[in-house]
Amino acid sequence: MKYRKILAMALSCVMAFSLAACGGGNADKKEDAQSDKTQEEDSNTEEAGEDAEEGESSASGKTKITLWTYPIGNWGDSATVEGLLANFHAAHDDIEVSVEYLDYANGDDQINTAIEGGQAPDIVMEGPERLVANWGAKGLMVDLSDLWTDEAKEAIYDSVENACQNNEGVFYEYPLCMTAHTMAINRDVFEKADALQYLDEEKGTWTTEGFQKAVEAVAASGQTTAVAAVYCKGQGGDQGTRALINNLYGGTFTNPEHTEYTANNDENVKALELLKSLEGINFDASLEGGDEVNMFCNGSTLAMAFCWNIAQEKNNAENLGFDVLPMAFPTESGDPQLCGGIWGFGIFDNDDDAKIEAAKTFIDFMANDETQVAESVKASSYWPVKDIGNIYEGDELMTEYSKFIPFMGDYYQVVSGWAEARTAWWNMLQQVGTGADAKTALDEFAATANTAAAN
Amino acid sequence: MKKKNPMSRALVRRETIAGYAFMVPSLIFFLGFVIYPMVQCVITSFFDSTMNRDDIFIGFANYAELFQDSVFLGALKNTIIIVVVSVPLTCIFSLWVSSVIYDLKGPLCSAFRCIFYLPVVTGSVAVTVVWKWMFNNYYGIFNYIGTNTGMIKQNINWLGDEKFALGCIILILLTTSVGQPIVLYVSALNNVDQSLVEAAQVDGATKMQCFWKIKWPQIMPTTLYILVITTINSFQCFALIQLLTSGGPNHSTDTIMYYIYYNAFKLYRYGYGNAMGVILAIIIAILSAVQFKMAKTD
Amino acid sequence: MKSNTNVNRSTIYKVISVVAIGIFAFLFAFPLYWIITGSFKTAAAINSPTPQWWPSEWVMDNYQKLFSRQVAPLWEIHIPFTETSFAGPEVPAALRWLLNTVFMGVVSMILTCITAAMAGYALAKKRFIGRTIVFSAIVCAMALPKQVILIPLLREMSSLQLYNTIWAVIFPIVGWPFGVFLMKQFAEGIPGEMMEAARIDGAGEWKTFYTIALPLIKPGIGALAIFTFINSWNDYFMQLIMLSSTETLTISLGIAKLQAENATDFGLIMAGASLAAIPIIIIFLIFQKYFTKGITMGAVKG
Repeated sequence: MKYRKILAMALSCVMAFSLAACGGGNADKKEDAQSDKTQEEDSNTEEAGEDAEEGESSASGKTKITLWTYPIGNWGDSATVEGLLANFHAAHDDIEVSVEYLDYANGDDQINTAIEGGQAPDIVMEGPERLVANWGAKGLMVDLSDLWTDEAKEAIYDSVENACQNNEGVFYEYPLCMTAHTMAINRDVFEKADALQYLDEEKGTWTTEGFQKAVEAVAASGQTTAVAAVYCKGQGGDQGTRALINNLYGGTFTNPEHTEYTANNDENVKALELLKSLEGINFDASLEGGDEVNMFCNGSTLAMAFCWNIAQEKNNAENLGFDVLPMAFPTESGDPQLCGGIWGFGIFDNDDDAKIEAAKTFIDFMANDETQVAESVKASSYWPVKDIGNIYEGDELMTEYSKFIPFMGDYYQVVSGWAEARTAWWNMLQQVGTGADAKTALDEFAATANTAAAN
Repeated sequence: MKKKNPMSRALVRRETIAGYAFMVPSLIFFLGFVIYPMVQCVITSFFDSTMNRDDIFIGFANYAELFQDSVFLGALKNTIIIVVVSVPLTCIFSLWVSSVIYDLKGPLCSAFRCIFYLPVVTGSVAVTVVWKWMFNNYYGIFNYIGTNTGMIKQNINWLGDEKFALGCIILILLTTSVGQPIVLYVSALNNVDQSLVEAAQVDGATKMQCFWKIKWPQIMPTTLYILVITTINSFQCFALIQLLTSGGPNHSTDTIMYYIYYNAFKLYRYGYGNAMGVILAIIIAILSAVQFKMAKTD
Repeated sequence: MKSNTNVNRSTIYKVISVVAIGIFAFLFAFPLYWIITGSFKTAAAINSPTPQWWPSEWVMDNYQKLFSRQVAPLWEIHIPFTETSFAGPEVPAALRWLLNTVFMGVVSMILTCITAAMAGYALAKKRFIGRTIVFSAIVCAMALPKQVILIPLLREMSSLQLYNTIWAVIFPIVGWPFGVFLMKQFAEGIPGEMMEAARIDGAGEWKTFYTIALPLIKPGIGALAIFTFINSWNDYFMQLIMLSSTETLTISLGIAKLQAENATDFGLIMAGASLAAIPIIIIFLIFQKYFTKGITMGAVKG
């Protein structure tokens, strides 16, 4: 580390000198302009240096930390987050938190570049698949066991607790909120196509056979350009395609111990073949989850969305010109296993105890402070990970969606090699979409993913 | 410069000191931000280098793996297709446009020149936003026009179909790269020696003969320059792919540029990515050497 | 008679070609037209399945949304070796991105022109030891896409603590040796007698460069300036790798981010894209003559 700093100093000195030197001619005016510029350059270089300085604190003695959030409900909306931060700053005026907003399409790349660039954020808000299985497994995160007090362990649901730690029991995430990812249908379109008979509107479930018939009916009615899209441009929203395929015939994605990818089972093969054969369902390599939601919400393109949860409906409320019906994924058994989302905070180990401490204070405030936690959870528009009373009293939409919580299945996204596995997943879907044999493609997926898991 | 008498030692020294004094500012940037990373790139390509772990020396293993990696070979193929298709097309299209517009009266020529240059100044990111919409499977304009006029029977998923995706990328690349060649050709054609052309016309040469026998040789240097810059440009095609297809479907639009990025920031394989960079650099170096040779002999 | 039909035929060819080129030109201009009109359309008009060729209703909603999204200080200047810093007024982040982009373009332009003019002059006119080696290195490196070296460059910027500053984008542009090559070609044309005369008058190295060489290669510097400016404006890749926080983004990155975050809101994206496109197009239209001249001159010498 030390020689790097010396190198940095030396280089910037040389640069400053060189600029000053070339200004050192006869023309006085030019020279002035030159040295001004040198000054400016120097100052900016300095600014950069300062930002990255370890353990730096500004003149006022505040500890500055950075928080990067993915768009988890309204945690991706600056107005909401500014409000939350204001609460925190009021309670802890010795810490200053600045926020960056990430998106699911490029957020990972952005964090990975920042890590390599030596400026990883202090706090990142996401789920176990990134915090535990990816960055945690790579040894980049701080062990959060001191946040996980006995009291916390008691309060937080067991399934959530299990997801937030790795196989050795080290906690890399402190959770805030959770939800079950569902799918959704355009009720108006289904009604006109006379397809509502194939589903249980009350419970929000349907059978594989019902799903198949419904798709056929909706496709025949021709109200939308297509019925649904198995989007596979990238990883955005891939929990939807995974849940769809796993549920149709009861296939699995990993083994129960979360050590191996088992997606190449016959059930999944059958599911892929069914999806391929259905008229009206496209394997679309030009879309990601976000695009799919967009096309579902405009009402005339897609009649179903696989990338859905309560937040999608809330965020798109203004644009929705039709009745959205959230549904569990279709199953043969009638017992859907929905993918859960468990979101919370992780801390990047930036070798600076003051910042880590500050980050922990922040997390503790957001997730445990009695007056704050309800507001933090509400900002996500998901459900709390422990019993803090009914915070959505009188919210019909939340009540409607809460019926899916019991369907929440195993949180398997913590197998190591997760980042590689999800990359392989969308590539697998693309292959199947372009005519590859489902079994071969799934085998290849499992092989790639398991190689990554073994490393 | 005095070239007659051999330079004295003192003069050589003076010249050297002065020469380097003038070179220093540029050399710092050149060595610091081109040569040094290049050397690092070559060195790291011999290591298994990933996040948060010390690099492990593995010799040529990265290179050996590269040539068995079907995705890399596919990316190499795509890169070559992009270059081989888009470079001649760019040259021909811009030559055709310029040969028609260069002697147009009034502001028409410069208006055309301007319009064809617009996508270059607008920048690929802003332009891509619209292209993405135009190519959309469900409500894109190409499908809208195509199906309404009966040219295509059903919607085509332009960017999501292996058969079309690379073609679409090349098309967009073309629109963002013909601007400069047209500007160059127009001015080159305007500089052609008119007396030769007139003399040939007096001798009864047709327009075609005039063009190929007299104008073409005179604009040859411009053509070569255009070849070089469009080749470099096509190799660098990245933004379009990152924003439109992410290399898919089925790696059919992966280019080496994108695959390096993919390996580095999705799979954390820095050494492997660097090995690809080295290969790409070698390919480009050979190509440029060939082009320079061609320029010299002509 | 014969030549008459010939003339006719070529006139017809010309007319047809001009029409065809007109159609192409229309296609080229279309994206821009669509971005600008799209940014004034209502959400319903943008999302309607049948394209609306001309906005039926002009609204500013998209711009309002764009400007109310995030805020950032317009500028930040740190005084070296102190804790003091000055931040500009809080403005919509999009404006900061625009300013960053302009700053990046202008500074790369200035730095490149200064360093390249000096180096090109030395390479052309100074017979120093190692000149051939330096020159061949420059020629070799010229064709190299700098994206190839992205990983080492990222690590280097990180250890120089320049990562996530605009300098991480500027420096590689300045280092790119095309400018030096171009300036060398121009400097070759400086007559030796004039330099000799200056020397006899007792001018030092710097004065000779400044008073004799510089005025003669001025047109070349102009060409290089325009080249560098366009180059840096379109240098999306480096920006993507090197910049990460709201305050340091450039406008291209900003729109790319908008696009990823709000796949649902085309109007907002179009507004961002217009904001990115319009200033540079205005600059281009005003300096059009110089642009064309600069590009041509670069090619003739390059």
